[in-house]
Amino acid sequence: MDFSVRKNEHGSGRKHFSAAVIGSGPAGLTAAIYLGRSKVDTVVFEKVIPGGYVVNVEKIENYPGFVEGISGEKLGELYARHAERFGAEIRSEEVTKLTLNEVPFRIETSHGSYTSDSLILATGTSNKKLGVPGEEEFTHKGISFCATCDAPFFEGEDVVVVGAGNSGVQESLYISRFAKHITIMEFLDHSTAEPILIDRLNENNKIELLTSHSVVSFKGEKFLSNVDVKDIKSGEVKNLKVKGAFIYAGEIPNNDLVKDTIKLDEKGFIVTDDSLRTSIKGIFAAGDVRNTPLRQVATAIGDGAIAGHEVYKFLEESK
Amino acid sequence: MELISEEDKKYLREEFDKALKREVEILYFGEQGKGSQYSIQTKELLEELVALNDNLSLTLKNCDDADEMKSEGLSFCPSIKVKSERSGFVNFYGIPAGHEFISLVEAINDMGSNNLSLPDDVVEGLKGIDENVDIKVFITHSCPYCPGAVRNAHQFSLVNEKIKGSMVDANYFGKLSMKHGVSSVPHIIVNDKTGFVGNMPPNLFLDKVKEALK
Repeated sequence: MDFSVRKNEHGSGRKHFSAAVIGSGPAGLTAAIYLGRSKVDTVVFEKVIPGGYVVNVEKIENYPGFVEGISGEKLGELYARHAERFGAEIRSEEVTKLTLNEVPFRIETSHGSYTSDSLILATGTSNKKLGVPGEEEFTHKGISFCATCDAPFFEGEDVVVVGAGNSGVQESLYISRFAKHITIMEFLDHSTAEPILIDRLNENNKIELLTSHSVVSFKGEKFLSNVDVKDIKSGEVKNLKVKGAFIYAGEIPNNDLVKDTIKLDEKGFIVTDDSLRTSIKGIFAAGDVRNTPLRQVATAIGDGAIAGHEVYKFLEESK
Repeated sequence: MELISEEDKKYLREEFDKALKREVEILYFGEQGKGSQYSIQTKELLEELVALNDNLSLTLKNCDDADEMKSEGLSFCPSIKVKSERSGFVNFYGIPAGHEFISLVEAINDMGSNNLSLPDDVVEGLKGIDENVDIKVFITHSCPYCPGAVRNAHQFSLVNEKIKGSMVDANYFGKLSMKHGVSSVPHIIVNDKTGFVGNMPPNLFLDKVKEALK
């Protein structure tokens, strides 16, 4: 068992900041590091724990510098300590409302109100739901969106994983430590995961990949007990007996705070220019929540650096 | 081999020095003198922890002592109850390892100080509760969302002495988890009846608790 301690926040009690970062994933915390080094007083709001979605990833193997990989939890903690070293204040508060029609921008959180002269939106993405019958009914009753949280409940059971992208395959490999058999369901006729992950999938005799299949419905009484799946090519529907289902069928941007105020693309991702400026002056976006061709830790770090630098320039020019 | 790294011990010493204004007793009900690796490791963890500050002490009790368990308001063993002169029922059923280790540290800091990180409206809402409320937060050690829910339950108990807040290691207490239909965490059970799933800000957490009481 692990007994390493996540460092506590120490709030200053301040209510106004020059820069506020919403979200403490790799993009948000990198921005905070750059802002801190530029001597910009910065607050970072995080509703779960520092690291953002990355803390759910057991091992990140494609982030340069960590030859043997590093756990997402550890990486998140390192980012937080790094940002705090340069003066950023990390607050475990959920941002509930933004008022963006006046400067300073107003930020309402689960614990109070703040103002800031600039904002970086780094709120990331969430797992997309399938929208099929039974999904709502059996969510948390067999259906899960967090393998690291819930996989131990399916020790010795059959489960289905929906989605054979990087997340679906990586999480299936993790779930295989507990489950007896895993069927990965993929809508496309191939997995879109990195070839190295597909190799591992092929070597794992607990995991079966079913391509060109989609979920028709989740079924059961009190808890999930079976899933109807459809062969897209033949149209045949078959039934799989499973106790659990983990859904990794794509991402949706966490844009609730700004969906009515800031320009989004057709999929709801925040539109930015090369300097990561959004449609409102003084507000920038970084990481997975913006319209970017690749959503990885490495690309989020780059975004964070640009956003931090651009906010500093913006604040200097505004003086 | 020690369970807490030297680096973390250094950090915790500083944390406890800053936070602890009064004595805090950690009351551990376990299988003393025998028991599983789980019990042995829990005891070792607590011994390492209390050695970090003079305000901390550890009292070892046996699971067999049903009367003492009952007098402490505890239902299951192993259990770690964090106590001080401050009123509050701050408890852990099972070992707070992994992501939950921070919950234990926060519980110690809260009981050793006057810390309260709840918004005023939530505090007022909690004061208005006039019935006994037992909040059990089922967790897994690998769940990053769980410590927030545990913290809510513990902090609620600091405001209103009718409220009990306990973390429950869902894997160790497997039968209890099955009884309550736990298959996703954090899963919160109120008064051993209804509940809800997920971490959320304190105001929404309070709303859910009140809803479960109806």
